[in-house]
Amino acid sequence: MTQTAAGQPLLEVTAVTKSFGALVAVNGLSFNLNEGEVLGIGGPNGAGKTTLFEVISGLSPATSGSVRFAGEDITRLSAEAICHAGIARTFQLNAAFDSLSVRENVEVAAQFGRANRAVPGLRLDRCTRASVDAALEITGLIERQRRIAAKLPVIDRKLLMIAGALATEPRLVLMDEPVGGLTPGETDRIVHLVERLRAEGRSIIMIEHVMRFLVQLSDRVLILHHGEKIYEGVPRGLVQDAQVVDVFLGQGASRRLASYLEGRA
Amino acid sequence: MTLDILTQIIASGLTLGAMYAVSTVGLSLVWGSLGMLNLAHGGLMAFGGYSAYYAMGALGLPLPAGLLAAILMGGLLGALTYHGAVRFMLRQKAFETNVVIATVGLAFVLENAVLKLFGAQAQRQPLQVEGAIQVGNVVVPLQNILILATALLLMLLVALLLKKSRIGRAVRATAMNREAAQLMGVRVGQIYALVLMLAGALAAVSGVMISSLTGLSPGMGADPMLKAFIICVVAGLGNVYGAVSAALALGLIEALAQFVLGVRFGFATLLLIVIVVLIWRPNGLFGRQQVTRL
Repeated sequence: MTQTAAGQPLLEVTAVTKSFGALVAVNGLSFNLNEGEVLGIGGPNGAGKTTLFEVISGLSPATSGSVRFAGEDITRLSAEAICHAGIARTFQLNAAFDSLSVRENVEVAAQFGRANRAVPGLRLDRCTRASVDAALEITGLIERQRRIAAKLPVIDRKLLMIAGALATEPRLVLMDEPVGGLTPGETDRIVHLVERLRAEGRSIIMIEHVMRFLVQLSDRVLILHHGEKIYEGVPRGLVQDAQVVDVFLGQGASRRLASYLEGRA
Repeated sequence: MTLDILTQIIASGLTLGAMYAVSTVGLSLVWGSLGMLNLAHGGLMAFGGYSAYYAMGALGLPLPAGLLAAILMGGLLGALTYHGAVRFMLRQKAFETNVVIATVGLAFVLENAVLKLFGAQAQRQPLQVEGAIQVGNVVVPLQNILILATALLLMLLVALLLKKSRIGRAVRATAMNREAAQLMGVRVGQIYALVLMLAGALAAVSGVMISSLTGLSPGMGADPMLKAFIICVVAGLGNVYGAVSAALALGLIEALAQFVLGVRFGFATLLLIVIVVLIWRPNGLFGRQQVTRL
């Protein structure tokens, strides 16, 4: 793992545009992320949040603009190469390998995600096993490691995706709606997990509709609307921004969020 | 029906089923992991058969080398299929239709290459073992037993590879969710190339087996490929383990139909069974709406 030069951002997204025919999903978006920072991304449905993740993770490269990671241009790299460079990602919807067990799912990530292996061998080495154990331990899935992925409840599927992402030993984790569809109790478990990852100094970008979750964990928040940035700054400033309140939060939610922020301060 | 006749039917049914299983597994594996219908499968079978013929006949190599030549040729053609065509199409929206057209083209190339290299007349496959064993009053040729044993060994190896090895796990992961596998660093291109090579090698071996019973001709792969498709459809497309069971069952049924109704009704019976199965279970016997393929 090479250190980024002092003062240099870990991730630099510069004037990224992604269009599908006439539809511009992400429009000239720029932002930076520093090492160890947690960035929350919010915005209405169709704002281009997930598309931005598709662009960064290489599943669907940008139409124009550039993405630099740890000083290297990764805009046109393949998804596998970007994974090997150190960016991991979870999905909004369940994306496990259904007929494999929890442990086997994470093993795939640890085996193939950590470094670029030209010839994957037939057995697992000790390093891989340690990485799998660590990922299962931190997500609390270790007791359920023999369960088949298809039979897991929603919360465990979310945790499994995070475990898979962590097993690739990434420098940056992209989380797409980690608490979408969870109960408040389950959301708290993810909150604790993200807090632990943050304490370990991991860099995280997360997309979330649940604003309390987002403001609670993020150092900085970015709000997208129609593929453009309408807000970037500390979570506290959200409720004072007229445009954010207007197009995204609404008056009611904005008041509730404001009193929540008051309560935390 | 006497016991002897039953033994005869079972012996020839299992031989048929074993040959079908080897050719079907390759087809099913490619469909299951790439979502690609490979219409050049028959061409690969013919090429495998002729490779063994060339290695043993023209070069005078021993039997194992003949089989090895077929396996290598099949693997090589599989790799060429990937690097020559499939990899340029993977990102296209209409991949599944485009690639079928491409494999039709490849099938033409393969068949005409055989015509050019070996001529149109039928040849005898030199990869044979002589002799037979007596089961009750029935004489079972050693060739049949060799086919059955080779098929079982290959199926076992494929199952072990998929279930136990890391690379097999990557194949299964890619089949289940290509994007998630990519994001976990699985180099899917490499996996696809490997699957096509494996399927090519299996097709080539089944080509050797089939030609050892029916003889070599440039179009020899057409019928077995059609049967392999039927078996795939009956089992549920892409279901590898279902395909093996379906191959053995249909082999036995075909042998039975050939004996009871006459040889020419064997294939017709298979087709009838497909129609019934598809009406009764549109996703195949072992298929589900949401397929977990491997």
